[in-house]
Amino acid sequence: MSTSTSTAVADLRTVRRRRQVLVVAGMILVVLVAGTGALLVGAAGLSPGQAIAGALGLGDKGDVFIIQKLRLPRIEAAVVVGAAFGLAGALFQATLRNPLASPDILGISSGASLGAVIGLLALGLSGVALSGLAFAGAGIIALAIWLLAWRKGLHSIRFVLVGVGFAYLCSSLLAWAMARSQEHEAAAVLTWTVGSVSDIRGEQLALVAAGTLVLSAAVAVVARLQGPLSLGDDNARALGVHVDAARIGTLLLAVALVALATSAAGPIAFVALVAPAIARRLVNDGGAALTASTATGAALTLVADVVGQHALLGVAAPVGIVTGLVGAPYLLWLLATTEKRSR
Amino acid sequence: MLTSPAAAPAGRREGAEAVAHRARRRTIASATALTALLLVILASLALGVRDINPAEVWRALTAPVAGFVDHDVVLDQRLPRTIVGLAAGVALGAAGTLIQGVTRNPIADPGLLGLNSGASLAVVCAVWLFGITSPIGYVWFAFLGAAGAAAIVFSVGRGQPVRLALVGAAVTALITPLITLVLLRDQQAFNLYRFWSVGSLTGRGLDTVTALWPFIVVGVVLAAVLSHRLNMLALGDDVATALGQRVGTTRLFAAVAIVLLAGTATSLAGPIALVGLVVPHAARRLVGTDYRWIMGIGMLLGPVMLLSADVLGRLILPRAELEAGVVAALLGAPVLIAVARSKNVVGA
Repeated sequence: MSTSTSTAVADLRTVRRRRQVLVVAGMILVVLVAGTGALLVGAAGLSPGQAIAGALGLGDKGDVFIIQKLRLPRIEAAVVVGAAFGLAGALFQATLRNPLASPDILGISSGASLGAVIGLLALGLSGVALSGLAFAGAGIIALAIWLLAWRKGLHSIRFVLVGVGFAYLCSSLLAWAMARSQEHEAAAVLTWTVGSVSDIRGEQLALVAAGTLVLSAAVAVVARLQGPLSLGDDNARALGVHVDAARIGTLLLAVALVALATSAAGPIAFVALVAPAIARRLVNDGGAALTASTATGAALTLVADVVGQHALLGVAAPVGIVTGLVGAPYLLWLLATTEKRSR
Repeated sequence: MLTSPAAAPAGRREGAEAVAHRARRRTIASATALTALLLVILASLALGVRDINPAEVWRALTAPVAGFVDHDVVLDQRLPRTIVGLAAGVALGAAGTLIQGVTRNPIADPGLLGLNSGASLAVVCAVWLFGITSPIGYVWFAFLGAAGAAAIVFSVGRGQPVRLALVGAAVTALITPLITLVLLRDQQAFNLYRFWSVGSLTGRGLDTVTALWPFIVVGVVLAAVLSHRLNMLALGDDVATALGQRVGTTRLFAAVAIVLLAGTATSLAGPIALVGLVVPHAARRLVGTDYRWIMGIGMLLGPVMLLSADVLGRLILPRAELEAGVVAALLGAPVLIAVARSKNVVGA
């Protein structure tokens, strides 16, 4: 009896693991297909042969430049940033146990935009220094939201509302900056409020990728606590978990991931909200689906960027527009249906 | 009274004292709000880069001398923005009070409910599709946009007052990329939007007020009539229904009034955030929980806050001006955060 139960559990575990692997593999496949498409399609149409030659540094100099300096970095940036957003969103949602929790709604993103715009307009920064300021902006706003929303624990609605307050503060300052600046500067401000992966390359890309890797490794260590935590605070405590410390640690990692991704790309809307939701639905094991969320985030962002570049109203739209148009209806649907469920 | 036993009148006397106390409080509140309004109107006419003393302001209004710079500044620049601020402020104060009353949600405001983003989208579309760039042309689009956003927010957020701000945020998040898309396509729309979106009392002259004041009047009258019903609604839908109120009708008329008022304010001054949120709270502090009084005081405090923001914005920076919308958000965000932190909002 007990052996048959344990084999049943083991079977179930294998099934679940297989499902997770399947989802991650599927997302990687999506990344590969979309990435190949992004390499081949563009203002300069290249044949597969030319693209491969360009990627290897052979062939026509122009092709090499287009592939190595323009298209590949953009694809890599979309994947890295998307993965960071996906993982951060999964952490937020698992820790706050709320499918609504995401940096877009928590107001952290607007802090990054504000930091970047200050660096752009007032200090004339660019590249890594600009990202540094955006990172600082996200961190400061996150900390402020945190301190103000904390009252004997985190209540998610209060957290969200304090975030909305900060979002208003930041966005009115951004609007002011946009009205005050020159025409070309204003366009840059606009891009920073939407989120785009078109200008991340070289040193900056390497930095974001390395940072995301390090943070993901840290998440992998902390992730072992997600299981007990998902059982509720009291049960987790009974299992010997320092609940508050674990929660704060996890959220700090999530904030760092968001700040890193946003500092490079700007606030790409809703990837952190939608990717974990899709991943959870696909894996469907009741867990946080961290790995699957990461892969889904990468796939989602890359596909959105390809769509924005080539298939939207004849404008080369930044990726944030596409993800916003996909994510906001999902959020509305979520709000409409949770209402019914709670009744 | 004279012949009744000792115990009963003591209670009654306390009641009478409470009534008298409340009446005194309301009188003081009304007087304070009115004085504040007059002072801020005067400040709006007198203060700025060029300081003009009150006597000269009075002369400019009563017996203007053509060609005298002080008088021209008062009449051509400060008077129009003061009138725009008055009209938009009254509208925002009333709209905010209505929204908070009808949703029983202390965190509600035309901006939070996505009305401003709807108006903005309609305005940039008007520029992009029809090439309309004059304020008097695009105000109607602002109106339509605000109404559309309100319809979505109210239908999705129905029955969940606390969620309403979230639904508004989601609708804003849906509309913002659409706005950005238009802005990327159309440089003319972008240039107009940059100055529209910051929220300002300048830039749209008196002719917009002349065109739109009937909407404010209708909205204000509706709001005043509905404020009594808001008192019953505050007790809950069931109680209000039991007291003979048609809750659905109240909500419908309130929605109409909100769109009229908020739409007009946004058309006049652009998307101004948080005035509609802060004003009802301040009014509640002054006069208590009776919505008839909150509404009245709110209509006075709306322009007080908006005009103060405008005047402050002229004075804060040495050479540049901060638009009223920016200052209003800077003043209002701490209030929003304080309200969000207070216990009775989230129930924990």
